Amino acid sequence: MKNSCVAVEINNMSKDFIIYADKANTLKERIVRFSNNKKEVRHILKNINLKINKGETVALIGVNGSGKSTLLKLITKIIYPTSGSIKVHGKLASLLELGAGFHPDFSGRENIYFNASIFGLTKAEIDARLDKIIEFSELGDFIDTPVRTYSSGMYMRLAFSVAINVDADIILIDEILAVGDQRFQEKCMNKMLELKKLGKTMVFVSHSKEAVEFLCDRAIWLNNGVIQKDGKTKSVLEEYIKVCG
Amino acid sequence: MNIFKNLYNYREFLKTSIKKEFRGKYKKSFLGVLWSFLNPLFQLLIYALVFPFILKNNVENYTVFLIVALFPWNFFNLSIIQSAACIVANGGIIKKVYFPREILPIATSTSNLINFLISSILVFLALFISGIGLTKAVVVLPLIILIQYILQLGLSFILSAITVYVRDVEYLINVLMMLAFYLSPIVYSADMIPSKYLPLFKLNPMFHIIKYYRDILYYGKIPEMGSVLLLLFACIIILVVGYLIFRKLEKRFAEEL
Repeated sequence: MKNSCVAVEINNMSKDFIIYADKANTLKERIVRFSNNKKEVRHILKNINLKINKGETVALIGVNGSGKSTLLKLITKIIYPTSGSIKVHGKLASLLELGAGFHPDFSGRENIYFNASIFGLTKAEIDARLDKIIEFSELGDFIDTPVRTYSSGMYMRLAFSVAINVDADIILIDEILAVGDQRFQEKCMNKMLELKKLGKTMVFVSHSKEAVEFLCDRAIWLNNGVIQKDGKTKSVLEEYIKVCG
Repeated sequence: MNIFKNLYNYREFLKTSIKKEFRGKYKKSFLGVLWSFLNPLFQLLIYALVFPFILKNNVENYTVFLIVALFPWNFFNLSIIQSAACIVANGGIIKKVYFPREILPIATSTSNLINFLISSILVFLALFISGIGLTKAVVVLPLIILIQYILQLGLSFILSAITVYVRDVEYLINVLMMLAFYLSPIVYSADMIPSKYLPLFKLNPMFHIIKYYRDILYYGKIPEMGSVLLLLFACIIILVVGYLIFRKLEKRFAEEL
């Protein structure tokens, strides 16, 4: 019973990155630099314990380099923890980088199929959602032109429209909404509010204080790879602003 | 057994990936998909002209003798070379989105299988035109194709994953494939190998596979089933080991790319 209300469960999780001064990709480089390959282990996340319940909308805040994006990547299973465990209960959709999983030469419409299939949808399921996705993206006639001709705002609109329409239980969104214009950003916010009311779980990285306050009941402040503070949005934000301006 | 559930959930992505591999290959060339026929045909023509001179063998219908082995070899060759590169080539999406990574080598191997099945029309055409025809031995052929597919899938799991860590593998493969071409009885027949080296040749799984193709199609006889099943078993082991290696290495793909 206890697990049925938990969406994401992270236990004693740490993540190290090995940073090479100059990465050896070929055998030759490996042999030549065998002795003097400077490498440095960087601890990006240190012993994170975290439970996100179903239906919660959580904001991840923190300065650049504090490990927010790494944490999202770990939750989606793009990378794996060095130690500890991450358990995800439910279907997950993530929107981490602009145009991830888009094929530049394909048209917007073809990319909807390609992108939604990466999220694990079948053709019939995509067919059923196609109109909704196109409508939300407001791309109009551009939907049939190759996405390499899109502006970054159009990219984001298409990517966001796909990600929120795949019926995931858990949605992860990195700082990408900032690319859209004011009106579309508001539209996204409202859509996310709608999803929140439907009981979806959302984890959301943002530097926008307004967006975080508007959307999230809980905020997690990451600082140098550790959770500095976790709690009600208002109190976490207050302290964060006090420390980081 | 999670892999089957995962693949089932992502079946649409698997399908589009196979299509993309298949369509994308000749997309920008003038003759398009026709090249998947023309290429092996020219190769066949060249070998059929050159090797009878060098080998001085008196094989009847050398062109047919060659085609029944050369086409399966091309299937192997292309499948291995392409799958070695398949993870690195898709680095962009691997770093940004989650999907079961094994879809990529599976899609590469499968699109090559489809390509092979289409091009094998030429093999059957050659058999009929030359008057050799088919015998009932052909019922074993699907099993041989399956064994070859399993072997290639297993190898592509291993090679695609290792290439991420050591990029040289991609180039090394080209050289090794050239060597393997001459170590398999393609341009010559298996019984031309001196018997003291034969056990060594037999370590190469493609040695057996090529021989079975020729037994079935050219000589029209059913290969000895005991050794076919043994080979099937060996290839399944390669597939399982390959998949386990892949599972181990895939965890750091996004960081190494």
